[in-house]
Amino acid sequence: MSVLRDLFTALRGGASEVGEAVIDANAVRILEQEIRDAETAIGKAKQSLTRMKGTEIRLKREIGVLDADISDYEQKAMAALNNGEEKLATEVAERIAELESDRNDKGSEQASLDAEINKIHAMIKARERTIQKNKRELDKVRTVRELQRATESVSTNFAATGSSEHRVAKALERVKAKQQNWQDRMQAGEWMAEKEGGDDLDAKLRDKGIGDSGSPAASDVLARLKAKSA
Amino acid sequence: MTLDELSYRLNGYTGEEGTTFDALVTDDGILEVVCSNNDEFPIHVTQTETQLLSVTALFTQAEVQPGKVNEVNEAFLRLSPAVPLSSIGLQGGTYILFGSMAVSTRFEVIAHELEVQAENAVDVLEVVEHLLA
Repeated sequence: MSVLRDLFTALRGGASEVGEAVIDANAVRILEQEIRDAETAIGKAKQSLTRMKGTEIRLKREIGVLDADISDYEQKAMAALNNGEEKLATEVAERIAELESDRNDKGSEQASLDAEINKIHAMIKARERTIQKNKRELDKVRTVRELQRATESVSTNFAATGSSEHRVAKALERVKAKQQNWQDRMQAGEWMAEKEGGDDLDAKLRDKGIGDSGSPAASDVLARLKAKSA
Repeated sequence: MTLDELSYRLNGYTGEEGTTFDALVTDDGILEVVCSNNDEFPIHVTQTETQLLSVTALFTQAEVQPGKVNEVNEAFLRLSPAVPLSSIGLQGGTYILFGSMAVSTRFEVIAHELEVQAENAVDVLEVVEHLLA
């Protein structure tokens, strides 16, 4: 069952203690125990799988050898028949029948082993789902616990600043004033940048000899003085 | 990323919208972040195994004008889906704005979420300001 319902009941009931006490501590312990149990079961199942895989490989190899033998004896039986050796062919056919029976036994052993392996895979998947589900459930509890811790920590700040009248309105006013101030500075920055950009334009025009000629160069002054003294 | 690392990186970072961060891990292991775009409502960041949780406490039920709690609740229920990246909740008697992120979230994305949450707090409070004492 989901822990959300328990959480809601506890929170509606005014549970505000920090920690997993918000829901029955037993519920958390059960979830954690189920996770541990599932992990142990998966570990054991994986060991069984390794053993079974070994058996499966051996069976496959033995069936392969039997199939090769059967096919070999079949060819020999055909050859005996073609040579008119009926009696010999019958003996070979008896051997083939024994080999086939042996192969069928091993085949059914392999089939039941496959079924067993599939069952174990399904069990591992189911246990993994349990682990994931329980972890999500535990995370809900931990999320509530952490939210409580964080909120409590901020609420302490409220208490420190005092829950004075219009606390929020005053705080909002201060934030907006700061934001306005920041925007004003941004605009001032843009104005400055534009102005600097404009000066650049004047400089470019001066370079081309258009508009204000700018400050006089030393060579101009010298030329003027020389003209005076002449 | 641990909360200590997050704190260290936030302190030297400027967000996409020019926001700077003042971050500090408290003695209880909670990361307190003050964003320059809203320094009146700090964000408290905490962590579970899978999530980073960021909480801005807005106001308590005691700060709501008498008889207006239902109106605040309805406003918040209607508003919550429209608020980008943050949700509104009630924790004990305190209304909170909160965000949750996977613990594997990239630093720049975390910083952006915090920046937006700080901005959201101002927007949300403006809507219900008239219902507060």
